[in-house]
Amino acid sequence: MRERLTRAIDRLEAAERTDRCPTLLHRLDGRSKLLVTLVYLVALLSVPLTQLSDTLLFAVYPFLTASIGGFRYSPILRRSLIVVPFVAFIGLFDIFQERETLFRIGPLAVSVGWTMFAVLLLRGLLSVQALLLLIDSTGYPRLCRSLQQLGVSEAFTTQLLFVHRYLCLLLRESIALSMAIDARSFGRSNYPLRIWGTLICQLLLRTFDRAERIGRAMTARGFTGRMPALPYTRTRWRTADTLYVVGWSAVIVGLRFVSPERLL
Amino acid sequence: MHLSDALVSPEVAATAGAVSLLLLGAAGRKVSRQRRDDERLVPLMGVTGAFVFAAQMINFAIPGTGSSGHLIGGILLSALLGPWAALLTLASVIILQCLLFADGGLLALGCNLFNMAVLSCLVAYPLVYRPIAGTNPTPRRIIAASLAAGIVALQLGALAVVLETELSGITALPAGRFLLLMSPIHLLIGIGEGAGTAAVLCAVQRYRPELLRNDLPRPNRRKTARLLAAFVGCALLLGGLFSWIASSRPDGLEWSVERLTGTTELTAPADAPHATAARLQQRTALLPDYDTSFAGLVGTGVVLLVVIGTARLLRPTHKKP
Repeated sequence: MRERLTRAIDRLEAAERTDRCPTLLHRLDGRSKLLVTLVYLVALLSVPLTQLSDTLLFAVYPFLTASIGGFRYSPILRRSLIVVPFVAFIGLFDIFQERETLFRIGPLAVSVGWTMFAVLLLRGLLSVQALLLLIDSTGYPRLCRSLQQLGVSEAFTTQLLFVHRYLCLLLRESIALSMAIDARSFGRSNYPLRIWGTLICQLLLRTFDRAERIGRAMTARGFTGRMPALPYTRTRWRTADTLYVVGWSAVIVGLRFVSPERLL
Repeated sequence: MHLSDALVSPEVAATAGAVSLLLLGAAGRKVSRQRRDDERLVPLMGVTGAFVFAAQMINFAIPGTGSSGHLIGGILLSALLGPWAALLTLASVIILQCLLFADGGLLALGCNLFNMAVLSCLVAYPLVYRPIAGTNPTPRRIIAASLAAGIVALQLGALAVVLETELSGITALPAGRFLLLMSPIHLLIGIGEGAGTAAVLCAVQRYRPELLRNDLPRPNRRKTARLLAAFVGCALLLGGLFSWIASSRPDGLEWSVERLTGTTELTAPADAPHATAARLQQRTALLPDYDTSFAGLVGTGVVLLVVIGTARLLRPTHKKP
């Protein structure tokens, strides 16, 4: 459990480190990257499940975007594997249900079910990779600001920023609680419900007290319900953003309608 | 229960996204009004969101199974903050999980918000938890209400997942059999969620009973029914609209060809230029005798290799200090 909590803190800190690199991708406005990611996801998910080669072609986007942003592709691929278990669980049924042959590789007949399974896995991996590249190159606070600029209500974006701001703090507090109980439980790894309930209640009560202190401190400093924008989250929409959106949208639409099967 | 982007079609994602956005908008307006009376609400929601995230990482042992479970938090947050503020708080946790930890897809966000946040905060809490717990709950009532609400929320969530994947055409498994698979798993998770919620709420009642929001006014049934009808109507309208856009009818060009020739498929004429072009294509094609799907795969592989090569060239070089 403590490992999971530590991993979560590491992930949060890593996200803060990666969003301020001096590459072209990092300098772009969050809105342009968000729009391109949405166009990519819609195009990717609209490819029929039996079109393996068409789906494979969509790997162009994460490869190129990772390179433009100066990211190594292998860690992004490794992190995207998180999606595999649930997608594989759903896709597994297709293998048994759809058994007619779709194409042959020499003597090997590939069924519709296996193709659908592979396409589902690919979709899952590519969509997560697109999302990881978006957040790694933009950062959470800038992305929240972009959402606000795109019309999402301020009450909600303020809430998103608040959760992010206090997450590290509460994760550290959970680690401290977990260490305290581990020190007294003589090797027991899981806690029975009653102990767990008291543990979580302690965390909750501390959370409420903390929220009260924060609320008073913020009111004393003139908080009116609006979170001020941090200096590095302020970006302008420039010509590069328009070019990025138009360029990638054209490529993605092209990928969607150009089929390698028909070309060869 | 986090749905990945791979498991939903754009039409289903857009419909669920629109419904969830409408509800989040309504929650935002309600919370803004609530915020004027209670200035602590904003930090409270933010910090409790972070609390739910942290609490989800602390597991408890499920007796007799050897496995462990964790809290989801919808019912717990509703009991502490009220359903609308809880919806906004849980939604922020789900969005954070999606954006920072890739747990659930960006396009499937609407589905995940609906399945986990809307169904537990706006359906299971007011319709199951509140009537059972009552205004002055005893520990027994809290346990019964939490268990019932946890089970109902998770079962509704499982049903929604099945409907969304079936409507997206993702799985070849019939809806009934898929539901039979999902339902027992989520029954166990629901019992775990209910037990966890009850354990925390009982402890809160013992140590800080004033934190439980038992003083909330009873929901106006007529108003709730009108709101639900509006959202169902909205979902049906959006679903119909998107399915019309994505219909399998011929597109404009195909329609024109069909009007002219009576079919959407055209065959090439057997005259000399066409035959020569076909022969040339057969000779120059890299994989002429292979199945087109396999040929497509090989072609895509070649394109990807070229792209990977280009990508390596494009990567900015970092000078070592």
